[in-house]
Amino acid sequence: MRSIKLHTTALALIAMTATGAAAADVYGPFPVTLKGYEGEKTNSVSYSGQIARHALHDSLKKAAALGNGGANAAEVEALMLSYFNGSDADLDILAPKSKDGFPIKQTTVNAISKGKNISGKFYKGAMPAWPGNGTGKDAVMHMIKMAAKADKGFDAENGYDWGQVISKFTMGAMMYNQSVDNYLDEKLAADNKPNDKPYKDGAYYTGKEHSWDEGFGYWGAPAHAMSLTPQQAYAIAKGKDLAAADANGDGMVDLKTEYVFGPAYYAAGADKGGTKSTNYMHTIMQAFIDGRQVIADAKGEALSDEARAQLKAHAATIESNWEKVLAEAAFKYAGSVYKDINKMAEAEGEEKAKAYRAYVKHWGELKGFAMALQSGRNNLGATAVELNNLVGFGPVTMDNSYVTGIDADGNFVRDRRMTWNDYQLNMLKTQELLKGKFGLKSLANDQLAQLEGLADKMKAEASAETD
Amino acid sequence: MDVFADIFGDFWDPKKRIFFGYLFLSLVIGAVWLVAVKHKTLRASLAQIFDRRVFLSSSAKADYKIFVINRFFTLFISPLLITQLSIATAVFYFLLSVDWLQSGVFSDAPIAMIVTLFTCAMFIFDDFTKFLLHRWMHRWPLLWAIHKVHHSAETMTPITVYRVHPLEGVLYGLRSVFVQGTVLSVFFFFFGNAVDLITIVGVNAAVFVFHVTGSNLRHSHIDIHYWPWLERLLISPAQHQLHHSTAVEHYDKNFGVALAVWDWLFGSLHLSEKDRTLAFGLPPEEASADALLDIYLRPFRDMAAVIRRRLRRLQRALNRQNKTLKEN
Repeated sequence: MRSIKLHTTALALIAMTATGAAAADVYGPFPVTLKGYEGEKTNSVSYSGQIARHALHDSLKKAAALGNGGANAAEVEALMLSYFNGSDADLDILAPKSKDGFPIKQTTVNAISKGKNISGKFYKGAMPAWPGNGTGKDAVMHMIKMAAKADKGFDAENGYDWGQVISKFTMGAMMYNQSVDNYLDEKLAADNKPNDKPYKDGAYYTGKEHSWDEGFGYWGAPAHAMSLTPQQAYAIAKGKDLAAADANGDGMVDLKTEYVFGPAYYAAGADKGGTKSTNYMHTIMQAFIDGRQVIADAKGEALSDEARAQLKAHAATIESNWEKVLAEAAFKYAGSVYKDINKMAEAEGEEKAKAYRAYVKHWGELKGFAMALQSGRNNLGATAVELNNLVGFGPVTMDNSYVTGIDADGNFVRDRRMTWNDYQLNMLKTQELLKGKFGLKSLANDQLAQLEGLADKMKAEASAETD
Repeated sequence: MDVFADIFGDFWDPKKRIFFGYLFLSLVIGAVWLVAVKHKTLRASLAQIFDRRVFLSSSAKADYKIFVINRFFTLFISPLLITQLSIATAVFYFLLSVDWLQSGVFSDAPIAMIVTLFTCAMFIFDDFTKFLLHRWMHRWPLLWAIHKVHHSAETMTPITVYRVHPLEGVLYGLRSVFVQGTVLSVFFFFFGNAVDLITIVGVNAAVFVFHVTGSNLRHSHIDIHYWPWLERLLISPAQHQLHHSTAVEHYDKNFGVALAVWDWLFGSLHLSEKDRTLAFGLPPEEASADALLDIYLRPFRDMAAVIRRRLRRLQRALNRQNKTLKEN
């Protein structure tokens, strides 16, 4: 009896060590497995093109705030388009930039990867969340034009903070969409980018290796994200905590492998705030690492059906959690918008203008994330319609009017009015919708949480006690 | 074990009136009253408190059985009822839809003030709606058919508070949910997120005070009364016992739970009467004190009878009207 017990313990131990060895906690290096490769490369991981696009995106957001209200519109639009469409010239990285105590290795986009753009990877499906009945790309082109004309990216009259709307929308329309709707979707098919062939002629990585890497690159987490707490990841994205970022200890932050970009940053934000009951960042990261391991384990052979099924399961984990991250962010900003309306009601003069500025900023983030959610693989159907009705094309502005559409020249039309109360109600309903449809758990800025908490506290007291 | 906890859990739940701590305090208060005010020996006082004729009467035994049986009803019915939260959310949404109301207008008020106001408002509205519903229970024949179950008790022990028909439990539960949901959302709307309840051992501080000052003695044979001025503000145990009295002059008096002001305002207040021995219960043709089937089923028969009577009256009225129309 005892010997059987000992045997099982030993077996269990061996099994544990075996899986422990197989499950890496860093995204790379993974060996070169391509059959017949004779070059010197030893690491098949490559996603610098995606990192370059993150830098283009961050810089585009920065450029959106360079307008002076119209005089330099052409110039600003050209600059924004150079980041959006890419450029023959080597573009400066406007963001992220080195800060005191947080030196960043790359200062130009080409230092990361050459010839990249955002436009070629932007969501081209219909985007009913934006006026004009256009595609996602039409919407962002319209935004860029408007941003260039605005004063520091702020359109007080119509209620837009362009940097926010463009940036958050892009996090869905490029990063989320490319990852979950392309690389983790059709490129996982058996006959698309197979694992027993190079990704393209002359490449040192296989079709599946590179497809998976590109999906990972858009996610924007550093290779060592599993060893970071959400707080550390958050700090890195804010240009703090060099020690946490600098995985290779060279005293600099390498954007290619050590920095935290948008999507991962918002996953960390959701994990760090709200109810602190979520683990989006590590869940998504682990699924990317485990999926990459499945491909490496195939050793350059075509993936078996079983291996592809595993890969698809990891892809499904990534997609559902990523979608939640976007919805959590929209949820949080709907709560901010609600609170901002209260602040505006109480403030006067300059304070009121400041409160309105914050309100427009938060609304821009809400809108951007709401549009990001609609740029994924799945058509959200009625949920999208409801969300778009509640949030609107623009926020309620100072004179209670709000954008209802655009005219033939692309100028905003505001021919409806709504009270602040009604708009607050819309925000509560937005939170309710997002919470219910996407099964959110972090729920930062939950405007009904306090009410729910107190109702819960009194539940036991709801006595049927009579006399 | 779980079933046992489900059934008898109220005894160690400080949110419930029959929490053992409150029962013990009621015992102490009763004994002090008998010794200090009634000048009895401690031995005689305890003998009076633990009177077998009260605790082992057939009426009290029925109370105990009803206590257990009703737990099962509660377990099945309460999850079906609407929650405070759904009412609170609905009212909150409604308030937001009213254009001329501004949310958060008083959110700058000191937190201590908000919390105190909320705790008091919750207690007052809770107490007032209990009074109202109780009054209707006595005034409306359809509800009296249900409420008779409680008044059929011929002896009263703290467990008698559970001697109610399950339908009455539902009505009181709905009342509680409605009041709490409404007060909660109104306060949240005007005062913002600082709203909170002052609680002691998890229960509204005011309710806690009500319980530690002998709420269990209301259903007992220890007739503690207060000074007349206080009995106009707070219902004393003796006043509630008088509410259960069979004497005609005590009918429909003292509907209040903690506060006497409601009875005072609505003209149903009756101060306690010193040294008057009260009899409790209802005549057998109205309700049974100890036959369980009768206790649970008769309310349905009585309600049906009330409805039939009303329908006959309606029929007669219609007939009369037809006749007048024809004659004209």
